[in-house]
Amino acid sequence: MAEMDRKLVEERILQPGTGKALEVRKGQILRIEQASGNQCVDFNCFNLHDYKEFMHCGRTRTVHGFNPTEGDFLWSAPPRENAMLYILKDTVKRNDVLFPRCSAFLYESAYGFDVHTNCHDIQAEAQREYGLTPDDVHDSFNFFMCTEVAMDGRATITRQNTKAGDHVDLLAMMDVLAIPNVCGADVMRTSNFALKPVKISIFEATEEDLAAVPDVPRMKSQRVPSQFRNATIKATRELTADPGYVPEFANTPIVEEEIVIELDAAERALFEDHARRDLYGDDDGAAFRDIFFTWWEERFLNAHSGAPSTASGKAT
Amino acid sequence: MSSMDAAKSRISIRLNQQQLELIDRTLKGGLAESREELLHLALKEYAAKREGAARG
Repeated sequence: MAEMDRKLVEERILQPGTGKALEVRKGQILRIEQASGNQCVDFNCFNLHDYKEFMHCGRTRTVHGFNPTEGDFLWSAPPRENAMLYILKDTVKRNDVLFPRCSAFLYESAYGFDVHTNCHDIQAEAQREYGLTPDDVHDSFNFFMCTEVAMDGRATITRQNTKAGDHVDLLAMMDVLAIPNVCGADVMRTSNFALKPVKISIFEATEEDLAAVPDVPRMKSQRVPSQFRNATIKATRELTADPGYVPEFANTPIVEEEIVIELDAAERALFEDHARRDLYGDDDGAAFRDIFFTWWEERFLNAHSGAPSTASGKAT
Repeated sequence: MSSMDAAKSRISIRLNQQQLELIDRTLKGGLAESREELLHLALKEYAAKREGAARG
């Protein structure tokens, strides 16, 4: 059993209303575990050597859907778009990347508390140990949080049903600062109306653990700061225009040219059967362009929304 | 126009340089000999897929 062979590096209990910034090195596993059950854990993650690279819920949601789980990655924001962590194990398989962290504003506006445990402030306080500011807290990956999207398009939170020992194992694909926090929502159903402790462990991954990670594509477009036109981190709060700024947008100007095709009667009939007149009216060219690129997507795109394909073929 | 009067009808499709690059890269896969031929193929396969699905 690979798990039995793992070397334990660190173990701690996070008390309700707290969080902890943890250095997790590439090849180590961060385990987030229910100590007694039914507790949501909010999570931020930064590249340990460059805090400007951080986990991006939007990217992760695009690649893996609303409830990322075992076999999925936590990705960093564009233009880095690196796999930061791999979900090696998930005993519950209910996590959320739809909802933002709860914040003080929520508890004051909805419940009348101007001071109340909340994920933003807990996260900020834990990250402060590493010099990060409240503005550096990013969108939260919410472990064990049960959410649904209703037919009217609104996302809703439901209760969870997790037990002591339920856990998620996150294998670090790079050195990261990982910050789990015990979600402070005690008056919401997120953690079934009570705050409970959470157990955190860090292990060295075994060879078997490492072998379980699918290959991740490496793209030219995954940029590093040395490729940025402005690689220097801005150190002032005021925004002022750079008088020397010259825009360098890629592939501009966008220039169109016309391609003319001839359709015989049979092709014309096919076109008329499938042209989206509801969208394009009498514009045959726009309707044909839609048909062409829809065909191209269906024939050649391996993953939805331009998500990178992984070797497991799991990207959805 | 969507007239079907003529035996052959012409459609002008406006494509930008990036879209054309994608078409040209697709051509390198050997599916078709020209941009126009690829567009014809796309229409046929697009329609066949949907008509097949409609037939179940």
